[in-house]
Amino acid sequence: MWTLVRQESFKLTRRVSTWVSTAFLVGIEIVFAFLSRVYPQTFVPANMFESLYFSRPIINFYMIAATATIITMEFQYGTMKQVLYRRYSRGQVLVSKWLAIFFYTFYWYVMSTGIALLMKALLFRHTLSIHQGAGDGMSIFTRGLAISAASFVSLWLLLSVVFLLANLFRNSAAAVSVGIIGYFASNIVTQLLTILIQKWDWAKWNPVTMTLYPSMLSHPGYYQPLLRMQGWQMLLGNVIYIAIFLGIGYYVFNKRNV
Amino acid sequence: MSSILSVQNLNKSFGNKHVLHDVSFDLKPGHIVGLVGPNGAGKSTLMKTMLGLFNYDSGSIKIAGETVTPQKHESLSKVGALIEYPGIYPFLTGWDHLQLFADGDHQLIHIQKIISQLNMDSFIKRKAKGYSLGMKQKLGIALALVNFPELVILDEPMNGLDPEATKELRDLIISESQHGTTFLISSHILSELQRLAQDLLIIDEGRIVQQTTMHELLASQGKQTIMLMTSDDKKARQLLKKARFKTTPDPRVEVVATDDNTMPEVLRLLVEGGVDILDVTRLEGNLESSLLEVLKQSRIQKRLAEEEAE
Repeated sequence: MWTLVRQESFKLTRRVSTWVSTAFLVGIEIVFAFLSRVYPQTFVPANMFESLYFSRPIINFYMIAATATIITMEFQYGTMKQVLYRRYSRGQVLVSKWLAIFFYTFYWYVMSTGIALLMKALLFRHTLSIHQGAGDGMSIFTRGLAISAASFVSLWLLLSVVFLLANLFRNSAAAVSVGIIGYFASNIVTQLLTILIQKWDWAKWNPVTMTLYPSMLSHPGYYQPLLRMQGWQMLLGNVIYIAIFLGIGYYVFNKRNV
Repeated sequence: MSSILSVQNLNKSFGNKHVLHDVSFDLKPGHIVGLVGPNGAGKSTLMKTMLGLFNYDSGSIKIAGETVTPQKHESLSKVGALIEYPGIYPFLTGWDHLQLFADGDHQLIHIQKIISQLNMDSFIKRKAKGYSLGMKQKLGIALALVNFPELVILDEPMNGLDPEATKELRDLIISESQHGTTFLISSHILSELQRLAQDLLIIDEGRIVQQTTMHELLASQGKQTIMLMTSDDKKARQLLKKARFKTTPDPRVEVVATDDNTMPEVLRLLVEGGVDILDVTRLEGNLESSLLEVLKQSRIQKRLAEEEAE
């Protein structure tokens, strides 16, 4: 299994896009850190640090694209056969791709958090203390980490859908489109969702609500009464939906002719 | 000698279309086996099913005694394959590809050996997106062979190869088979297959219509004959008839070769019988015409069987 994960990671590291997107993300964080230093009223340093200098949405887009292509490129380049007719079972091949994407997501979060800390140290050494309280008993730093963790989980909910669609359609355009729409959908339909949840309590358990997990951690006082959900319920809902979508994808992948 | 690959009563359908019908055959270690048949006969489906890429309805596929299914196929560690066309990642170099798929100990030695055997040194460190068709094909073959498997399944391996590369591949296949590797090769380039394959599996409409040796097929179609010019053709014919050699009705002295011993036996018989041999020509058979004949006969028999059943 680890051989397969290593091979998937090898492919990722050999893609120019991996390094171009890394450079781009670092650039974005640096730009927003400077903007925050020059215009602290507009780009509030504490908020900007918490948002990892605007890197999370970019990570989401990167990961949606990477997840779609890790499956569809094998069909596009005709390499799926080669990947499958080895001693490894289909399940192992698919799980290795999940793990490679999991570690890749981890890479982005660790890297962007590291750059954010570096920017803080270089540009806000005396003007921002990340250990100061940020409400709910958390410091700016721990709150940033909590939002990152929630964002990681809800991103994986989207990625599990992208994995499933890439598997079904063998087409990255369809999978990426649905992933990106899914990313925006939660914010677009929040109003409709709250109306539905206020009318039928069970409606809160739909997957779109689960994608609001990081937003709820950022603004707990606002989202908790609207969605009638606690943080742990959101976490549980995310994990269950991730398992369901990955499970369906696993079944489809095992059954299909290549 | 046990089989490296054993397929028994294999049936496969796509929806209502039954594409493989009770396919059964065994491959012995160290043999080069040609899988031939017309387009749509089921060659690629059979190869893909053997490699665990397709589910099958019934029957069994065993590689070195272990069952292969799409869900479980650990025995494919003994197999290398190139099916339809080489799958190449354009952003990787040829070397990266080999590194990616090389398994087990001595990977570097294996990679370097296969590169040198297929004469790929000049382009192996370049990104594959710039490869020609022939380079991609060579890389696909190298990927099939890099782990020096016991069984190699190649679908149209000569596609896009120039004459020099074709010869290199032929030499490599022969050399590896002499070391015990079994090859199952599907190709429409029958002249090339005729030079390589010792055994043949002829498939038509999803059925194995004949499993034979190349020699038997060519001989059975009367295609492999030894033509002799002698000092006394009449006496030569009498000697051959007496020794029960099969001759053709041709006015020239022609003997049907039943195996590799026929030629020396005929020559010995005639010399010992006092007939001088002025010239000997082996009239090589032609796989193409033999195959067409087998397919024609098989279809006639099938039609007759269907008519009888009605």
